[in-house]
Amino acid sequence: MRKTLAYLGERALLALISFVVLFPIAWMFLTAFKQPRDAYSLSLIFEPTVQNFVTVFSEPWNLGSMVLNSVIVATVTVAIAVPCAALAAYSFSRFRVKGRKFLFFLILSTQFIPAVVIVLPFFLMFRQLDLLDTRIALIIVNLAIVTPFVIWMIKGFIDAIPTDSEEAAMIDGASRLRVIKDIVMPMAAPGIMTSSIFCFILTWNEFLFALILSRRDAVTLPVGLVSFRTERGDLWELMSAAGVMITVPIFIMALFIQKHFTRGMTAGAVK
Amino acid sequence: MAEVRLVDIEKKYGNFLAVPKQSLTIHDGEFLVLLGPSGCGKTTTMRMIAGLEDITSGDIMIKGERVNDKPPKDRDIAMVFQNYGLYPHMTVRQNIEYPLKLRGMSKVDRKARVQETAEKVELDALLERRPSELSGGQRQRVALARAIVRTPSIFLMDEPLSNLDAKLRVTMRAELKHLHHELGVTTVYVTHDQMEAMTLATRVAVMRDGKIVQLDTPKKIYAEPADLFVAGFIGSPSMNLIDGAVQSGVFRADGVELPVDLAGCKGVVLGIRPEELDITEDAGAAISGKLYALELTGESTLVTLRNGPSSVCARGHADFEAEINSPCHLAPKDGARIHLFDRATGERLR
Repeated sequence: MRKTLAYLGERALLALISFVVLFPIAWMFLTAFKQPRDAYSLSLIFEPTVQNFVTVFSEPWNLGSMVLNSVIVATVTVAIAVPCAALAAYSFSRFRVKGRKFLFFLILSTQFIPAVVIVLPFFLMFRQLDLLDTRIALIIVNLAIVTPFVIWMIKGFIDAIPTDSEEAAMIDGASRLRVIKDIVMPMAAPGIMTSSIFCFILTWNEFLFALILSRRDAVTLPVGLVSFRTERGDLWELMSAAGVMITVPIFIMALFIQKHFTRGMTAGAVK
Repeated sequence: MAEVRLVDIEKKYGNFLAVPKQSLTIHDGEFLVLLGPSGCGKTTTMRMIAGLEDITSGDIMIKGERVNDKPPKDRDIAMVFQNYGLYPHMTVRQNIEYPLKLRGMSKVDRKARVQETAEKVELDALLERRPSELSGGQRQRVALARAIVRTPSIFLMDEPLSNLDAKLRVTMRAELKHLHHELGVTTVYVTHDQMEAMTLATRVAVMRDGKIVQLDTPKKIYAEPADLFVAGFIGSPSMNLIDGAVQSGVFRADGVELPVDLAGCKGVVLGIRPEELDITEDAGAAISGKLYALELTGESTLVTLRNGPSSVCARGHADFEAEINSPCHLAPKDGARIHLFDRATGERLR
């Protein structure tokens, strides 16, 4: 009896948590297909339309350019951050350099700085360099945000790889770089994949810097959402359609690499 | 001519002296075993030869050339690791092929060479598998194949059999011996298993606290151990070591009275191997005590007798039977080697 009660309680709690987490997402997906007049109703019965998607991609919203900006900024950030971070992580993991621990802490400590504190210096810097409202500025800022985090993550995965195979490769005739390319990277692939996804998600969702540093040309999707708060009020159906555009790529990516994702997570957790 | 010379090499980790200054020459074609308990510096010594560990001072010469500053890949060595060090994401074929690929050998030549090597270690049926799909013995053979595929000047083997079960270890031991005979490559082999050392080595270097305490042929090390440590380390069951004193040419301890070739000395440890003792009915025999244990090993029976704090083991006939706690007497066989060591220094007296 007690066991059944505990079981029911557990299920009820899980259902409640799931509801709290999933409701806003479900609401967003439903609203994206609603007419403006249905947007505020919670009814599940309505006449679906794709007009919202058509609207957000046309003038004056132009979501297309924001999608392009987001894709370019996130992809280029991952493409630069992950290889650099992998090399740095390897060095931190394998070379016994003096001051290594302090340096590692220093890199990690950049994550403790609140973004609002550094957003103004970044703004001034990019204004000086004439890079405001450019994708390059966003890429540079995102690199500064994600690289330390990715170094820390990948180091965990490389630490877990025994050095025997590396040493064997060195004796077999490989140079250090060749060892990293042929042995370490393939063995750390699940971890690197996981780190890349995290890196992509962080950049894809980054809001504050994109808001301050972009105005028209380099606006990304999260910032674009704000533009649906107009003098006519909040256009929820359009905001939801844009929200779907932001979340769907992440969902699809997560589905595709779920296997790597969980494997990477546990591999990092054990060591 | 692949001779390896270690000249006054020393290894320190911070203040800790792992390998004190010493020299060693490994002759061309020799199978040299570094033998010692764990933590005695044997693996460190091998890793220094491989170039995986920097040396604090001294020189390492391979084929007459100083290689201190050469990376492992330029030392023309191959190494077999304790945990095999295979590449888990590659197939057996790719594992064996990797050293050849790095040396820029053509695809056709590589294929032929891999096939030939795989046949040598009976892996030809498993070439397309990954290491995770292999048993311990098969993995060991992959590691071995990867080492021999490019015929290096020197083989380094770091406890290559220690992860295998007892039966497989014996089989692989014979394979290693055969391989060395066939290839004739200078080999340095690290182990803590004295049986492996005795069966494989041309010469054995027994190490303790980073220092080589005796370097000789297995036969000589067995017959004339340099000190108490070597005497106790080599042989299974190990040599009987009895604490006592020598007076007027007779060694005396509880229940032991044995004429020896030494005038007089206090604090002496007498050593005699179990196989050099006979079980006798003679109450006046050199060693007397009560029967403590009988262990049948198959081909013989190990007889342990006790007298006071010391126990003495003898290898008797497989049929030998007696009551536990009954009186028992042992006498050295004709021509038995009796070793005498200084108790304080451990050095060999005679």
